[in-house]
Amino acid sequence: MNSVNSAVLDANTGWLILALFSALWIALGWFWGRKARQLDDYMLAGRNVGLALGTATAMATWVTSNTTLVAPQFALQLGIWGMLGYSLGSVGLMLFAPMVKRIRQLVPHGYTSGDFIRMRYGTWTWRVFLVISMCYALGWLISLGMAGGILIHALTGIQYELGMTVILVICVSYTLLGGLRAVIGTDFIQTLLILLGIIILAVLTITEIGFDTMHQNVLAERPELLNLLMPAAIMFLFNNLLFGIGEIFHSNVWWSRAFAFRENVGFRAYLIAGIVWAPIPIVAGFIALAVPSLGLNVPAADMVGPMVAAKLLGFTGAVIVFIVVFSSLASSLDSLLAATSDLILQDIYRGHINPDASDERLRIMAKRIILLLGVLTWMICLPRVATLGSLLQYLGAFVASTIWPIIAGLYWQRTNANGALLAMVLGTVTGIWAYFAVGFYVAALVSAAVSMLIVVISTWIRPSHFDWTRLASATGADRS
Amino acid sequence: MTISLFAFKLVITAALAITVISPIALVIFWIKDWKDRKLW
Repeated sequence: MNSVNSAVLDANTGWLILALFSALWIALGWFWGRKARQLDDYMLAGRNVGLALGTATAMATWVTSNTTLVAPQFALQLGIWGMLGYSLGSVGLMLFAPMVKRIRQLVPHGYTSGDFIRMRYGTWTWRVFLVISMCYALGWLISLGMAGGILIHALTGIQYELGMTVILVICVSYTLLGGLRAVIGTDFIQTLLILLGIIILAVLTITEIGFDTMHQNVLAERPELLNLLMPAAIMFLFNNLLFGIGEIFHSNVWWSRAFAFRENVGFRAYLIAGIVWAPIPIVAGFIALAVPSLGLNVPAADMVGPMVAAKLLGFTGAVIVFIVVFSSLASSLDSLLAATSDLILQDIYRGHINPDASDERLRIMAKRIILLLGVLTWMICLPRVATLGSLLQYLGAFVASTIWPIIAGLYWQRTNANGALLAMVLGTVTGIWAYFAVGFYVAALVSAAVSMLIVVISTWIRPSHFDWTRLASATGADRS
Repeated sequence: MTISLFAFKLVITAALAITVISPIALVIFWIKDWKDRKLW
């Protein structure tokens, strides 16, 4: 995949597409950011986001370059369960929908997931949660930054350093100019581009090759891909499910949207986003099953999607794949930049360094943090250390440990702070142990199981009587 | 146990149908929010 030989587009076309979309995103970021006078406008898009933009942003953020490129790879490696397993990532979005309603009721003036954990469980559990959240956010940012450079290079031959720099500069620029409003607005357009792109590719695969030929050729050459009892694929399915739930339940990317959506919109937006996200890995992934029919020799499994598209549609197919991948990358990278900078601003700067900061000061700091986060990500991504790319795999153990403390914290009055803290620490430690002792596919599973046991046992042994009304005062300003 | 041609067709067609409907639904939601001045 690292070879320029695998490029399906020439570098000039790649630069042209990058330039056109960069100009569009940055202009829109500036346009939408003009009216952001208050901190709430900048960080949470005025807390008034409607159903259309809400659904699209939840969906686009969850469609990463992984969804569009790794789904075909999994279909090629794990067969039918590879893409079905990937589509279970949508369960996290659907399960989060009722939680969003509860979050808005309990913490109506909150800014971050950290606000909830701090008010619900106290300072030390909040700090442990922040460590987990920051590890995950940075890991995801680095993985996306590196994926940007690698994919642009693989698709167009543009140098890794240049591609990675360009995608980071674009996303940092429009997020800086327009805050969450720019992120959500561009997400809507990016969602439409991604959906149209994968629909065109899927329809062409079906009309050009046909279901019968595809099924017949896979059955003749790679029958294991149609096997419904492939053990590795079934294990992948469960791990992916828990990893996805952990990612969504704890990450400020999703919590900041819960606070940003208009009241009564959050539940519907997340539920619809989950329902319409579920088929995307299947539609994007099944084209890989056309490989035996097309007689393609795929040198790297993660390039199977672009190769099939280029084979079927030539230049147009390659352009569509590039736009889909670029939109997927940008829609996740901008969301992560905005949400992570919110977490640093509210929970680290305001929570630990300057609790009395004015809204004006916080707005200035928000921009500085986005910029610094972009520079930090760029510096870490620049040397292209291969092991950093797989960093995200370790994080399944971290995020899965937060699932039960968050669910219990939202719905179970008797869950106590020490139990939640212990659940996160021991869940993470045992998850990491399982990762090395058994394999990547059990890390999230073990972490979530241990964390659940600790939450349940500690609640039973030492029940607390938390007063839900205390959460209503969580505004960030209550820290001083 | 192998997935049959019928089930294979059904899964992909259903997934594609939802994917085709979703951008249309998003645009309809957008028009409705815009008319009601509830975009953001």
